[in-house]
This record gives sequence, structure tokens and C-alpha cells, in this order.
Amino acid sequence: MPGPASPNPPRPTGLSRRRAVARAAATCAAARVLAPGLFVGCSLGIPPRARTVPVGLLHSQTGTMAISATSLRDMQLHAIERINADGGLLGCRLEARAPDPRSRAELFASRARRLLEDGAAALFGCWTSTSRKATLPVCEEFQKLLFYAVQYEGNESSACCVYGGSTPSQQLLPAIDWLTSAEGLARKKIFLLGSDYVYPRTANYIARKYLAAREQRPAGELYLPLGHRDFSMAVQQILFSGADCVLSTVNGGSNLGLFDALADAKVDAAKLPVVSTSLGEDELRGLLPGQVQGHFAVASYFQSLATEANREWIAGFRDEFGHDRVVSDPLEAGWNLVHLWKTAVERAGSFDTAALRQVFRDGLAWDGPGGPLRLDPATQHCAKAFRVGRIRADRQFDIVHSSEAQLAPDPYPQIAFPGWKCDWTDGGITRGAEVSIDGDV
Amino acid sequence: MSTDWFWIYDIPTARLALLSIALFVGVYWSGLILVRPFLRPLVRNIRAANDIVGYILSCFCVFYGLLLGLIAVTAYQNVSEAGSNVTREAAALSALYEDVSRYPEPHAQNLRWLLRDYTRYVIKYAWPLQQRGVIPQEGTIRAEAFHDKLLDFQPQTPAEEILHAEALRQLNHFLECRRMRLFSVKSALPASMWYVMLLGAFFTILLCWLFDMTFVAHLALGGVLASYLGTMMYLIVDMNQPFRGDVSITAEAFETLYARMNEE
Repeated sequence: MPGPASPNPPRPTGLSRRRAVARAAATCAAARVLAPGLFVGCSLGIPPRARTVPVGLLHSQTGTMAISATSLRDMQLHAIERINADGGLLGCRLEARAPDPRSRAELFASRARRLLEDGAAALFGCWTSTSRKATLPVCEEFQKLLFYAVQYEGNESSACCVYGGSTPSQQLLPAIDWLTSAEGLARKKIFLLGSDYVYPRTANYIARKYLAAREQRPAGELYLPLGHRDFSMAVQQILFSGADCVLSTVNGGSNLGLFDALADAKVDAAKLPVVSTSLGEDELRGLLPGQVQGHFAVASYFQSLATEANREWIAGFRDEFGHDRVVSDPLEAGWNLVHLWKTAVERAGSFDTAALRQVFRDGLAWDGPGGPLRLDPATQHCAKAFRVGRIRADRQFDIVHSSEAQLAPDPYPQIAFPGWKCDWTDGGITRGAEVSIDGDV
Repeated sequence: MSTDWFWIYDIPTARLALLSIALFVGVYWSGLILVRPFLRPLVRNIRAANDIVGYILSCFCVFYGLLLGLIAVTAYQNVSEAGSNVTREAAALSALYEDVSRYPEPHAQNLRWLLRDYTRYVIKYAWPLQQRGVIPQEGTIRAEAFHDKLLDFQPQTPAEEILHAEALRQLNHFLECRRMRLFSVKSALPASMWYVMLLGAFFTILLCWLFDMTFVAHLALGGVLASYLGTMMYLIVDMNQPFRGDVSITAEAFETLYARMNEE
């Protein structure tokens, strides 16, 4: 009688588990020996990521300064994108970080601190002097460089700042010379009008001293809060003073109010021209051409500059940001500063501030869209051209005057700051007589 | 859930699929060789063991298959919804651009620039961040800048009032869509679902190891089952993050819009 069927009938012969284990072990051993040759070129296909270096762009994107600063942010983003497209910097990809300080000085300091704590290699930014003065102590604490692109009042030097804008000796004082000269407007009674913060106050202090040295006095001087829009009383005061021209250091969105009030008072630009130090093509976008045509601005660069390099640069920016975008003096300076930094980093072979400062001391130059640019090793300011532009109906400028050569930067004009001097190649700042800017008004 | 494993989304789709299949087949075959000898004694002396294991496996697979199917559908819906949000945001942006283009100058130009700037940021900066699973922050600044500028405009005529009201309504719709897009950057299956899914896959394989059959047949049949499990896992992984991996939402809607904004 047959017994019960076994639950495990005999296996058919073939590949047994033991044989499989033995073969697997042999395969593993062979693979271990042959792997370096067999798997050459094999990978998961994950594209390699370049090391990124954060770079801070500290520009107000909301608030009263947004009208100007947003375009500067775009231009510096454009410069960084170009550098990345060309392979980056020292094998690293630059990562632009652009928080919004909302046109508030206290936020500049906190945003700068956060950027530097997060490892930003350098900061590019600030528009007003108030914002720069709030940011610089943070840069000095972290020993990082701030690249500042806007014209400013001087009376300051920091080893942690590279100044790309014009100083009064490159913009304000030549503007007074041009205004009063026979070749220029031949005006005698200059009214000093400004927004109420550091730059206009100091710039006008220097202007007063400069006029006093020529035995002249301003026809009047007035400050209105930054962001203020109602200039009707100010215009009445200007007309009442008998001034024959206005030297304006009004900044940001306030320019809208100023030219509105001038138009309301039917002020003729030929009789009472306004010469602005802080009015560029970007600000003109917000103004009605009929209100501003015939008035003047002084700067180192205007979009209408007729050079091939300039045309190419503008075309490149417009390809990226739109055919109707305009460029202006701070935008050109902002672009130049990013490339100056790049050149310095490449020459130093490092992002380290001390190494970059050594490169600055050896001298640094760059061919910008507005012409050649040279960084003065002593002051870390740029030598710049001086130009005067008359506003056209198409919100551009006719360049009516250009300096023959680039003007040397001088953050401490001796006429206003006697004894003060800056030379980072030889001892840094030499202190002179104490001056009281407000007390002199 | 930890994002340490997000590098897998950087692997090209085809390789990720092969990797997933290879992983599951590898686990199955390794277990067959190394673990099965210890499991087989559990069922060796049971009559018709294969029938019992097969019955349990089929019951288990009903539940597990349902779970996998539902999860795959959920993942697909997540991607689909995120894609719709992106399209809606781009459409709202386009409508807003048209509205503000009718404003008097210089407001129209200023507002158009800000919208172009926002669109460019989304394409060039926000999208790469989203693809890394990071919620982009600087778009908020640009949206706020536009909002501020729009509120600066004071309508002077009834027609401008109507236009301004419509632009504000469109702005709110745009902001809502934008917020939805940002929420969906982090939308993914919760960790607990992954644990249940992986545990289910393991039990499926475990039950298969208990089958009594020839070694080669086991390798072949189990390999087929494991490779399909690997395919399903790949599918769910790939769709789990709407903005990550090769099968993800692209910025095409914004790119088309930006090209149109830049037309002279």
C-alpha cells in the first residue's frame, strides 16, 4: 500500500540553491575584481552641481526708493547672470540674493547682517547715504565689502566700501562751475533744494562752502522729507527768493512732486532751470515729458552716450529685461562695480576681503559702457567723467557738456573738510578739523 | 519629512525607473538566496502549502493593490492640481498685464515692468528653487512691489475707476493662485503612507519567498512581480513632488507669457 504523499516531493535536478549561492559568491568576487573596469563611466546621471557663492543685492524694492533702486537691482542681477553664463567665478556659481529693505534704513542693517551671516561674499547695494551708513558698520563687523553705485556726498571713507558713484568733486562742484560759467548757463543765484537726509545736507554744505570761496551765496536753501510729494510751497519759496536756477538734490519719488509743482506754477525751464544730481533716465519714466523737458541733470553717464560699447550694453540689458527698459548713471556704475569685483576676485584668486583689498592697492581698471573706469587705490573710489544732460521730450538726455578727462575722486574736498584725507595705501584716514554740517546752514 | 533623499529627483527618469526595479528585484533575489532557507521550514510540513500561501497572498494583494492604486491616483491628482494652479496663475498674470497696459502713462509702463520682472523671476529663479523643493521667497517682494504701485494709482475718470477695480480683482485672483502654487511646492505624500507602502511591498515579497517551487522559476516569477512593484514605486516617487524630477510641472506657461510681454 502506498504511503502518504510527501509534502516535499523530490526536486528536479537543475540550479539548486547551493549552486546558486556558490555562483552568486563567485560572481560577486569577480565583480569586485573587475568592477573598476566594468563600471567606468557608469553613474546615476545626476548632473554635477558647481559650488555656489552667495552675493547680496541690497536694494529697496518697495517704498519711496523703489522707483530707482529696482532697476539697479536688475542691472546687477544681469551682471551676475552674465558672469554665471560665462562659467562663474573661480569655478563657483554666483547666487544672487536680493531681500527688500523697503526703503527703511534700519532694515538695511538687519538685511545686510542676515546676508553676511548666510555667507554672502560681498554686498552690492544701497541708494541713499542713510542706507549706506546703516549698512557699513555691519560690513565692517563681518569684514566684507559693500559696493556702492550711487553718487554721494563724500565726507566718508571705509576700507569695507568701494564707491562707484561720483563724489562732490566729480559731480556737484563741476556742476556749479558749469552753472555759473559763460560756457554753461551763466547763472548767479543758485537755490539749493534737497530731500532731508544725509546726501543733500552734506552736498549742499559743500556747495555753500564752494560758493563762499567764490564770494557767492546761495539764493536759498530748503529741505523736504524724503518721499514728500507736495512741493507747491517750496516752489513759491524758490520764486520768491529770486533764484535764477535750482540745484536739486531731491531724491526718489519726490522728484514727481517737485516737477508737478513747477509745472503747476508755470515755471519756464529756460528761465529757471532745475539742475538735478539725482535724476536719471529711470526717474524720468515717472515724470511727464512736458514737465521736465529743458531741465538738466548732471551725471557721469547718460544712456544717450553715442558709443558702440554703450549700444551693445544697452541691447544686452534690453534683451533680458525688456525692449523698453532704460539705463542710467547708477546702473552703469552698478554694472561696473560687479565687474570690478569679478576682476579683483580673479586676480586675487580668492573671495577673501583682505586679498581683494590688496588687489585694490595694486590698482584696478575696467572698460565700462560709459568708458574706461579706474579704481583709485588710495580712496577706493572711482575716477569718473562729468557730463551735463538736457532733458528731451522722449525722457532722454542731450549731452550738452562733457569733462575732457576723468575727474579724480576726492571724498574730502578741502574747501569743506580742511585737513581730512584718505589713503588706504598709506595709513587710512587722516582726521582734520571737526565740521558741523547742520550748524552751518 | 526629511529632504535628505531628494537627490533621487536629480536622477534622470529612465535611470530612476531602472534603479527602482533593480532595487526591488535585487531585494527579492537576495532574500530568495539568503532568507528563504530560514522561512521555508515554517511551511514545509504543511499540506498544500503553496495553496495556502497563494490564498493569503491574493487576499493581501487585494488590499495592497488598492492602496497602491489609490496612492498613485492621489499623487497624480497632486501633480495635476499643481499644474492647474500654475496655469491659472499665468492666466491671471496675463489678464492683469492686459488690464494695467490700459492705464495712463507712466503708470502703465511702471506696472508692466513690475509684472515682467515678476514673470522673469518666476522663470529664472523661482522654478529652479521649486525643483529643489524650496519655496521661493523673493517673488513675494516683487508681488508686493506691484501691489504697492497699483495702489499708488488714483483713478481720475469713471472709466479708470472701472479699470482699476477690475485690475484689483484680477490681482487678488493672481495672488490666490500664486499662494496655491507655493503651497504645492512642498505637497507630497505623508511619511506614514510611505512606511505603509514599503511595508506592504516587503510583505508581498516575504509571502512570495514562502512559495515552494524550483529555484529558477522562483527567480523568474518573483523577479517579474518585484520589477512591477519597483515600477509602481518609481511611478509614485516620480509624481510625489509636483515640481521635482523629469516628470514635473514646467514653467512653460510663464515662458510663453514672458515672450509675449517682451514683444515690441
